Amino acid sequence: MDTARYAELFLTESQDNLSAINHALLELERRPTAREPVGALFRAVHTVKGMSATMGYSVIADLSHELETLLDLVRRGDRDVDASLMDTLFGAADTLERAIELSVAGRADDLDVAETLTALRAASKSSRTPDAEPPAAPAPRSRKKRAAKSAATGSALTVVVALEPDTPMMGVRAYLAIERAKTLGAIVHTSPDVGALAADGFDGTITIALETSAGDDEIDRVMRSAGSIATVRVSRPGGAPGRVAASPPNGNGSEARRPSAGTASELAPARQHRHIRIDLQRLDTLMNLIGELVITRGRLQQLAAILNDPSLTETVTQASRLVADLQDGIMTSRMVPMWQVFDRFPRVVRDAARALGKQVDFVVEGQEIELDRSLLDEIGDPVVHLLRNAIDHGLETPDERRRAGKPPTGRLSLTAARDRSAVVIRVTDDGKGIDRDRVLARAHEMGLIESGRGDLTDDEVVRLIARPGFSTAREVTDLSGRGVGIDAVHTRVRALGGTVDIRSTKGTGTSITVRLPVTLAIVRALLARVGDETYAIPMTHVNETAHLELNTIRQVKGRDVLVLRNDVLPLLHLRDVVRLPKRDAGGGQVVVLEVADRRAGMVVDELTGQQEIVIKPFDAVKDGLSVFSGATILGDGVPALILDVSSLL
Amino acid sequence: MICDDAIFMRTMVGDILQQAGFEIVGEAETGVQAVEKYRQLRPDLVTMDIVMPDMGGIDAVREITKFDPQAKVLMCSAMGQQALVVEAIQAGAKDFVVKPFQPSRVLEAVQRVLG
Repeated sequence: MDTARYAELFLTESQDNLSAINHALLELERRPTAREPVGALFRAVHTVKGMSATMGYSVIADLSHELETLLDLVRRGDRDVDASLMDTLFGAADTLERAIELSVAGRADDLDVAETLTALRAASKSSRTPDAEPPAAPAPRSRKKRAAKSAATGSALTVVVALEPDTPMMGVRAYLAIERAKTLGAIVHTSPDVGALAADGFDGTITIALETSAGDDEIDRVMRSAGSIATVRVSRPGGAPGRVAASPPNGNGSEARRPSAGTASELAPARQHRHIRIDLQRLDTLMNLIGELVITRGRLQQLAAILNDPSLTETVTQASRLVADLQDGIMTSRMVPMWQVFDRFPRVVRDAARALGKQVDFVVEGQEIELDRSLLDEIGDPVVHLLRNAIDHGLETPDERRRAGKPPTGRLSLTAARDRSAVVIRVTDDGKGIDRDRVLARAHEMGLIESGRGDLTDDEVVRLIARPGFSTAREVTDLSGRGVGIDAVHTRVRALGGTVDIRSTKGTGTSITVRLPVTLAIVRALLARVGDETYAIPMTHVNETAHLELNTIRQVKGRDVLVLRNDVLPLLHLRDVVRLPKRDAGGGQVVVLEVADRRAGMVVDELTGQQEIVIKPFDAVKDGLSVFSGATILGDGVPALILDVSSLL
Repeated sequence: MICDDAIFMRTMVGDILQQAGFEIVGEAETGVQAVEKYRQLRPDLVTMDIVMPDMGGIDAVREITKFDPQAKVLMCSAMGQQALVVEAIQAGAKDFVVKPFQPSRVLEAVQRVLG
């Protein structure tokens, strides 16, 4: 078999299942007696087992088989859910994840699974009834419901179709059988429901209540044309209508059904959502092309403005609109919901809390908020960092919390929300907050501030934390504080065109807010000229613009400030920022910049317009030119640097 | 007619069918090709892969059935594609086989589809 072609499909599906496994494990840990998480676990592990066997990944198949055996014991109530079982299951899930990654990469041999297999077998052995045969519990499906339904079938006859036991894709084969039955007459009802056919509890026997005039032989022939059919039994409503239909589908006491899942909506013919999988690279290619097109549009618009021909202008306007629609469409197709990344965080938090001996109540909100796929990939690590930081440095141990008069379990929340063209991700804890004195002491040690600067505002203190290499962690732990603090998050977020805002109150907690543009790559920008150079200022940070009149500039403590209506704002000069000599002549324009609740005015020679700009990758931050976040190519083909507004304020 | 984007799979299916005495009148590598060639060749039976570039197998089945409601299409699917196979059946496919192929199952399905 040409497995390579399916390796990717396998990987994607396995990852979905791993995510389901981790969720179910966390749920089971919270509610050890609950049945549903065990069922969900079993189904996901079973799916992985089946897929890996087909792909020939024996390591994964072995692991999932042992895991399935153990879960079956738990499901039947022969193995209690306790802390040691949870550890074994979590450990096995991790090994399974690595096994999947390595197997797909063709390096399955790099992984030693013996230890995990032994642990799983040991856990299975310690069950209460080690030699129990697996006569799984009867299906929890409601008899009453079925009886009620079939009572309404009236004159319908009942066809019980049993598939051959080793039929591949039994659910689909059963679906095909139902399709065949439709050619005979009207289907009143099927059991199990069409929607439940994909569940692994489906045992290959399907009961169809059918209104038809066809004879037994014809029914038999048509049903068998669905293939892989072992037996077809037809019962007609005789003297006691409805009674036959009400009997269990696979009568004669052979109740060997596994509990039915019921969640497998996969097979349901409902088509509210029609999805296709697209290779991310194709979307990236489209995005790059639309980027080039946007630049070309800018050039076209400029040319049209110069030529000033009415019909050309009209055509260009129309083309521009179409480009905008196309851009919108492509961007939308790249949007994915946050949960695709947030999904793994509960597990991360649980592991970190356990490792540090802390109790955490973790809440996630806004998982449905959508973000550009490439941004989502980038934001995962910084958020993990923030969460670990909060658990490591923010939240206290249960004892410390009790002494501080707080409940022993700390609260940690991760929320996402849309705010205009930005996505706001916030990590909040109710821990001890940032220790102002320690930050100041450390800042002094690092030579960032002079001693005795007790007059720094809280905001300024907090911003010290975001400085590169800043960490006040007393000891380096496994989880965070390896000299990479909030500044790592800050750098990463800034590179994505976003901002980080930190709020903290000593003793009551810390809240870190990350603002990101909804999409990378294309943003609207204000173009500002100083000297011969044009710079782009992302519109997300532009509050307003004004003509600069000399009487609005004042001096306060030797610094320029801008008086704007009733506000006094700090004033900076783009010429200073880019190290151009000051201009003698007055005039010019001022742009009011805004990041979070910080504002400042910036003087430029001239504002030359607004444009959609395509951000090109640029390592400005690494090279020390920290005032630029990227570069772009303007409509006239000239490159321009994009100002990183958050670094200016 | 055999539709699959992998030469490996086309060769394998072709071998199974030829050894059973069938004649392969054409092959297609994409859904678009499959629809085009179906119109030209009017084969007795089409084997159709689900995942193909250009136009997938399911859309191809839909197009082919639109053109010829009597078309006999056998889907070739991989494990884990249950939902897609169901969609293909809804689109008009008559039967399916699951990879890895066992020649006997392929031939059984072919016989069933040809009736």
